[in-house]
Amino acid sequence: MSEKLRLPAEESYAAELKALATGDQHCPPGWALAPRQVVTYLMGGKANDGTPITPKYVGDKRLIETAVATLATDRALLLLGVPGTAKSWVSEHLAAAITGDSTLVIQCTAGTDENQIRYGWNYAQLLAHGPSREALVPTPLMRAMESGKLCRFEELTRMGSDVQDTLITVLSEKMMPIPELNTAVYAQRGFNIIATANNRDKGVNELSSALKRRFNVVVLPLPDSTEEEVAIIVKRVGEMAQTLDLPAPKNVADEVARVVSIFRELRSGSTEDGKVALKSPSGGLSTAEAIAVMIGGISQATFFNDGKLTPETLASNMIGAVVKDPVQDTAVLGEYLETVLKKRRGFEGYYASLTDLI
Amino acid sequence: MAGQVSLFGIRHHGPGSARRLVEALDALKPVAVLIEGPADASELLPMLADPDMTTPVALLTYAEDNPANASFFPFADYSPEYQAARWAVRHGATLRFIDLPASDRLGATAGDIAEEIAARAEADPVSHDPIGALATAAGYDDGESWWSDVIEENPATGPIFTAVADAMTALRADEKSLSAREAAREAHMRIEIAKTAKECDGAVAVVCGAWHVPALAERRSLAADRELLKGRPKTKIKATWAPWTAPRLARASGYGAGVVAPGWCAHVWDTRDGNRAAEWLAKVTRVLRDRGHFVSTASVIEARRLGTALAALRDRPAPGFAELREAAIACLCNGERAVWDDISAELLIGAGVGAIPASTPLAPLLDDLQRQQKATRLKPEALDRALTLDLRSESGLMRSTLLHRLNALDVPWGRLTDVGRSRGTFRENWQLRWEPEFAVRLVENLLYGSTIAEAASGRLIETMGKEAELGPLASLVRNAMIADLARATEFGIAALEMKAALTSDGPSLLAALPPMADILRYGEARTGTVEHLAVLMPRIVVQAALALPYAARNLDGPAAAKLRSALLAADAAIQLAKIEADIVAGWRDALGALLNDDQATRLIAGTAARLLYEAEFLTADHAADLLTRVLSPGTPVAEAAGFFEGFFEGAGQRLIHDAALRAAVDAWLMTLDEEAFTASLPLFRRVFSALDRTERRRLMDALSARSTGAAKGYGLTAGANEIWPAHQARVLELLTSGAAR
Repeated sequence: MSEKLRLPAEESYAAELKALATGDQHCPPGWALAPRQVVTYLMGGKANDGTPITPKYVGDKRLIETAVATLATDRALLLLGVPGTAKSWVSEHLAAAITGDSTLVIQCTAGTDENQIRYGWNYAQLLAHGPSREALVPTPLMRAMESGKLCRFEELTRMGSDVQDTLITVLSEKMMPIPELNTAVYAQRGFNIIATANNRDKGVNELSSALKRRFNVVVLPLPDSTEEEVAIIVKRVGEMAQTLDLPAPKNVADEVARVVSIFRELRSGSTEDGKVALKSPSGGLSTAEAIAVMIGGISQATFFNDGKLTPETLASNMIGAVVKDPVQDTAVLGEYLETVLKKRRGFEGYYASLTDLI
Repeated sequence: MAGQVSLFGIRHHGPGSARRLVEALDALKPVAVLIEGPADASELLPMLADPDMTTPVALLTYAEDNPANASFFPFADYSPEYQAARWAVRHGATLRFIDLPASDRLGATAGDIAEEIAARAEADPVSHDPIGALATAAGYDDGESWWSDVIEENPATGPIFTAVADAMTALRADEKSLSAREAAREAHMRIEIAKTAKECDGAVAVVCGAWHVPALAERRSLAADRELLKGRPKTKIKATWAPWTAPRLARASGYGAGVVAPGWCAHVWDTRDGNRAAEWLAKVTRVLRDRGHFVSTASVIEARRLGTALAALRDRPAPGFAELREAAIACLCNGERAVWDDISAELLIGAGVGAIPASTPLAPLLDDLQRQQKATRLKPEALDRALTLDLRSESGLMRSTLLHRLNALDVPWGRLTDVGRSRGTFRENWQLRWEPEFAVRLVENLLYGSTIAEAASGRLIETMGKEAELGPLASLVRNAMIADLARATEFGIAALEMKAALTSDGPSLLAALPPMADILRYGEARTGTVEHLAVLMPRIVVQAALALPYAARNLDGPAAAKLRSALLAADAAIQLAKIEADIVAGWRDALGALLNDDQATRLIAGTAARLLYEAEFLTADHAADLLTRVLSPGTPVAEAAGFFEGFFEGAGQRLIHDAALRAAVDAWLMTLDEEAFTASLPLFRRVFSALDRTERRRLMDALSARSTGAAKGYGLTAGANEIWPAHQARVLELLTSGAAR
C-alpha cells in the first residue's frame, strides 16, 4: 500500500493501461495507445485480452471521442464546463492514457507569470556562468515539448490574458523561442496541450480569440438523468462522510433525491415533468455543489441537531448554493418557491424553511 | 412477351437512393415506372414535371364529404419517388401509382388509421424506415451516412438495389404476420405490377419502399391477392397538389415518415461526394456568421480535419452527419451545444416553401367553405349586411365560429362592429361583405391545412410562435379560443406558459392578465376548454405579484404612468376572474408591500393604496393615517404629490364622502407654502377636474363645513320642527295667490 494520499492516474490504473496496450495497435506518433483504446479506457469496456476496464467518465461517449480525435489531429484541447463536471479528471486520464504521464501540470492562477509557463532561470548558474542551457529551469510545458508528451493546464482562464497568449506561438508553430540564447525548443511528435477552464465563473480572464481559435473546445455537461445524478451524489456523499468521520443519517438518499430534484429544476429551467418553465439562478448548481450541500447538511445535523437530517438544516446550505446574486437570485428562488414548491407534496419542509430564509 | 419487372427498394426521402435510382433508370430505360402511392391519384402524377411546380409539394387526398379526413404524401427534390416521376415524364414512360387507392385509406374511419399507424410505429419501427433502423443499429445518427458508408461503399460487386433487396429479405425473414392493411397494400401492388407487366412490352421499373421489395418479388397467385382485397372500405375522394414546407418534412413536425434533418438531405442531394463535408461546413459557417458569431476560415479547416479524425476513430470511410456536427460544435461553436441548437433549426430544417401550378384542381378549402356556408345558411354577398348572433343558440355559435376562423385566415368576410366592448358576452354584431379576392386568399392558406378549421389553427400557431410579447400573445390565444380552435388554443397556452415563466418583466406580466381574464369569462359562453388557463392565470398573478416590487422602483414619469394603467387593468382583471382566495391575498400583499417600500415610485404606491382601499383591505382609518404620514411635511412635495395623484386620480369622489380622508388631505394642503402649492396646481386640477360641477360644490360645502351631518353633506337644521310649518304656510300662500291672479 502506498503512503501517498492519492496516486496519479497512470499508477492507479497501471494494470488497465497495460492490458489495453496489448494487441495490434495503430497509434499516432508519440501515443502509447490507439485512439480507440483511449476511448475505451475513459468510457470503460473490455481490453483486447478481455481485461475489464472500469469507466472513468460517466456520460456522453461522443464527447470523449471528439476529445480524443482532437488530440489525434495535433490540435490543442480545451475542456470547458461548470465546476464539478469532471474536467480535470478527464484531462488527467486522457494524459495518462495517451502518453502514460499525467504529471506535467501547470496550475494557472492570477499569480502565474510567463516564467512559470516558458522557462525560468537558475540565478546562481546565470551569475556564475552567464546565460546557457544549463542555467535554464524548464517548466512542465518545456519538458513536455522536449519529450513529446502532453502538458495539462488547469484553470487556464484564471491566469492573466497576457500570460495566456504566451501559448499562441507554442500552439501554432510547435516551438518556443529562447531569445536570450538565440535558440528555440522544438516540440517532439506527440506533444500537445490539454487545458481546462470554467465557462460560468467570475474573476476569470476571457481567452483572446487568437488563442481560442487554436483550441478545439469540448464542453462537459452536467449529468443527463436524475437517477444518474442521485447515484453519483449518494456515492460521493457516502465516501466523503466517511473521510470526515461523519455518521451518515438514515434518510440521506431520500433527501438527496429532493435536493437533486430542486437543483435540476432550477438549473434546467423547467420542472421535471416539463410542464412549467422556470427561470434559472446565476450560479451553476453543479453536481459537486449538491454534494457540498449534502455534506454541509450532514455535518450540521451531526453537531447541532442530534444527527437528524431535516429540510431546515439542508435549506440553509441550499440558500448559499442557489443565491449567488442577492437581488436577482432571490427573486428567481422566490418565484420557484411560490409557483412550484408550494404545492408539491413532500417538499413542505423545504418550502417553509427556504421561504423563511429569503 | 410481358414486360421485365425490376424492383427498386428505396428509402423514402433518401437522397442517396434517389441518386442511385436515377442512375439505375437511365441504365434500364423502362417503358413504365410504377410508384408506391395511392392508385386513384395516378392522373395527377405528370403534373410533378410541370415547370411551375416547386418542391416541396404534397399530394393531398381527402374524402369528398369531409376534407378533415385527408392524407398528404409529401415530395421533396431528393425524394426518389419524385425523381422517378420526373424521369418517367421526361422519357415518355408510362407512370402510375400502385398502392391501395386513397379511397381505401380514407374510407376506413379516421380513428382506425390513427390507431393503426401509432401501433405500427410503436411495435415495429423497422418496417417504417428499415434503412434508418439498420443505421441506428450500426450506431449512426443519420440513415443517409449509413447508406453512403455501407450500401454505396459495399465492396461486393453488383448493383446497389440488389444489395438493398438482400438486406430486406434478411430483415423480413423472421417476420410475424402482417397487419390486414399491410397485406392488402402489398397484394394490391402485386396485382398492379402484374397488370402493367402484361400490358407493356419492355422493362417495368417499380419504385417502392425498401421494406416491400421481398414481398413484391414473391410469386403469389392473383386469386389469393384478390381475395385479400375483398371488402376493403371505400369512399369518394378528391385529390390535388398542395404546397408544402421544409419544416413539415421534418419528423419533428409530426410527419411520421419524415426525415430528421431535411436540410442535410437537401445538401446531400445537391452536392457530390467529394466536397460534401467541406461544403456542409461552409454552410454551417455562413449561418453562424449571419447570426453574428465570429468564425475564421482556419477554424473551418480544423473542423474538417477533426471530422476526418472522428470518422477514422469510428471506423467510417468518410465523415458523415454526426462527425461533422461534433466537429462543428468543437471547432466552430466553441464547444457550446446551445450555439449549435440555435443554428440547427435554420440549418437542418430550412424554411423552403413549395409552389403549385395554377392549373391544379380546386382547393379543398373552398369546398369546405361552400359546405359550411350551406350548413350555417350564410350566403356570400358583395353587399354590406349586418348580422347579430346570439352565441347561446347553436346556429349562432356555429356562424360566429366560422366568421372568426375566416378572420384568423385573413379572410375578413365578417367584421365585428363592437370589438372591445365587453358588455354582452353572448351577443356579437357582425358586418358581412364578401369580396372576390377572398377566394384567392383562402386558397393560399392551403399550406396550413385542408379544412378551414385546420388551416386557421395552423396559421394562428405560426403567428403565436413568432410573437415575442406576452400581452399580444394572450390576445392571440383569445382569438383562437373564440374561433374554437382547440389545437391552436392549447399551443398558445403552452407558449404563454413558456413566455410567462421566462419573463420577470412586471409590466408585460400585468399586460397579459386582462386578455386572460377575458378568455376565462368568454370561455363560459363558449364550449371551449378553459381549465388550462384557469391554472395558468393564477400562476401569472403570483409571478406578477413577485415581480411588482422590482417593477415599481425608480420609474420616470411616462414609465410610471404606463405601469399605473397596467396595474389598474390587472387588478380589475384579477377581481373579474374567479381566482383562489390565497392567490388574491398574495396579490394584495404585494400591493401592501409597495406602501412600505421607500424605493417604490410614489405614483405606483399611491395607486396600490387606492386599490387596497377600494377592496376594503385598508380601513378608512388606516388610509387616513397613511395619507397623513405620506403627505406630512417631512416628505418632499414632489413625492407627496406623486402619491396623491396615484391615490386620487380618477377617484376624487372619495373625498366628498370620506371625512377622515378629506381631513388628512385638507391638513396636507394647508401645510403647503405658496411655491409648492403653485407647483402642484396642475396636479390638483387634474384630480379635481374629474368631478362634475355638483360634485365639486358638494366637496366645497363639505370643506367649508356648511353641513357637518353624517347624511352625505345634507344635515338637519336646528329647530326644523318649528320652522317647517311656517315655511309650508308661506309657500302655499304664494302658490294660491299666484293661481288666483
